[in-house]
Amino acid sequence: MSAIAIENLHKRFAAKTVLRGIDLDIASGELLGLVGPNGAGKSTLLRTLIGLVERDQGSVSVLGHDPRQASLAIRRRCCYLPGETGVYAQMTGAEFLRFSLGFYPRHREALHQQLEAEFALPLHLRVRSYSAGMKQKLALMATLVPDVEIYVLDEPDRALDASVRFFLRDVLRDLKSAGKTILLSSHHLSEVETLADRLEFLIDGVLVDAERLAEANARLRRRPRLRLRPGATLPEGASVLRHEPDGTLVLETAEEPLLWLRDLAPEDVQSAEIGVVRLEDLYQLLLKEPHAATERDS
Amino acid sequence: MIAGKTWREIRLMALVYLLILELLAIPVLLLWPDLYSDLQKSTLFRNLPIDFVKRITEGVSDTNEQIAYRNWVAVMLYFRSVNLAGIAASVLMGVALFARERETQTLEFLLARPISRSRILLHKSWPTALALLIPIFLVNYSAIFWSWQIGLDLPFREITLASIHAGAFVLMFLAFTTWMSVICRTQAHVAFWVGGITVIQLGIYMTQRWRRHSLFRLSDFEWYAPILAGNRPLWQMLDPVTSHGYTTYALLAAAFFYFMAWRALRRLEL
Repeated sequence: MSAIAIENLHKRFAAKTVLRGIDLDIASGELLGLVGPNGAGKSTLLRTLIGLVERDQGSVSVLGHDPRQASLAIRRRCCYLPGETGVYAQMTGAEFLRFSLGFYPRHREALHQQLEAEFALPLHLRVRSYSAGMKQKLALMATLVPDVEIYVLDEPDRALDASVRFFLRDVLRDLKSAGKTILLSSHHLSEVETLADRLEFLIDGVLVDAERLAEANARLRRRPRLRLRPGATLPEGASVLRHEPDGTLVLETAEEPLLWLRDLAPEDVQSAEIGVVRLEDLYQLLLKEPHAATERDS
Repeated sequence: MIAGKTWREIRLMALVYLLILELLAIPVLLLWPDLYSDLQKSTLFRNLPIDFVKRITEGVSDTNEQIAYRNWVAVMLYFRSVNLAGIAASVLMGVALFARERETQTLEFLLARPISRSRILLHKSWPTALALLIPIFLVNYSAIFWSWQIGLDLPFREITLASIHAGAFVLMFLAFTTWMSVICRTQAHVAFWVGGITVIQLGIYMTQRWRRHSLFRLSDFEWYAPILAGNRPLWQMLDPVTSHGYTTYALLAAAFFYFMAWRALRRLEL
């Protein structure tokens, strides 16, 4: 059953079209990673789901409710972490948590204790004395502790150091295994990749469709990464896309890379990686390619 | 919760506002006996070319001291304090209600909580309204006590009626500021619009020909003096058909601006 169903969603702010025909289905209990560059429309999409932004066209259903008509019913069953950390500076950390958790009838007490212990925030101090990372931790506590069905997290790992990000990953895994639906937008591609059941790329207001993704995947599979012995020469049929600092060459072959690789003397190859698609590369490729929707608009 | 948070944010401001109102009131009440004899002798204000100042001067130098004193209270506690400190406080408290939340990026967090926008507006507005109204009533009732110290009386009923009107007038400004606070992105913008409109209204009030179009006509000496003199009962304050009914206008304007704030908040997109 779909926890979130979006069909042909369009949103425009004045002269700028932010979302262009988004179609997305998120199953109950799924953890979906939403990836895209700044200004791609990720935050607008998340805000539309909980009724903070009104759509211009299309249909949206969150837990069976339309955010346009029943955003309050959605917000009762859905916790949202905004992309910009908004915590009341004049409150103490404890006051802020009391305030924000007070809106929800049920809390995950064990998780509350766990987060409090792990984050070790000085909850007796005013939030204005907190660092950006501490504010983000506080906002995360306010978002993850309420016991709701959907968690919509806009860059939850912003301003967090690596160890906290790993911990957050475990927390999100636990939530998912408890049957919660999670929609996560992030710039940390590697972490989204390891965590999410499914990834969606949002570029220039459009979700990259399966066909385009498959094309990009196929193209990346023809990009072997090689480390060659110094002085070794490359056979014909491949162009160098880039030299990485450790000496690795990223190539693009005209034909199947394995066939092309036969022309290389084995002693010249120190390492070879073929057919592996890295999310970073996929993302870069999708970003570089001219977008169908942009072309249409222009 | 939101009401509690709002109260914590404005309580210091409310206390300072109460103190300012009281400090504006005490000296002018206690010094009345000396001022009264001076005012009767002085011809300076009477000869000023500003018509409403002339009328005020005539009112406060009336040969009947009891009438002159009530006129003095109408000028100092209502015309001056309400229009000065009351408006300033309503603007200062109202500006922060939503515009500050936008500036500090907490509005998105607040609007994402499971509470309707109508309730957010309500729970932010009523503590602010009380923080503005209670000091007006407290200070004006305290004037009865201070008047006893100089051997004069102020009627409780008339003080209450004038304070009700002053409260309605201040609420009108609060509701207008709240509306602006929802619309504008920064507190500076709210202050610019509310301040600008207040100055324009003041300018209109100062121009005799246009005065009846000014909002300050709702809260001037000529409105408060008859109330304190006991010549304007509650029904006249409220009845816009057979009387002026300015209190009704102020309350209707407050309700209209509150409705506009609610409408703007309901449609607000982040």
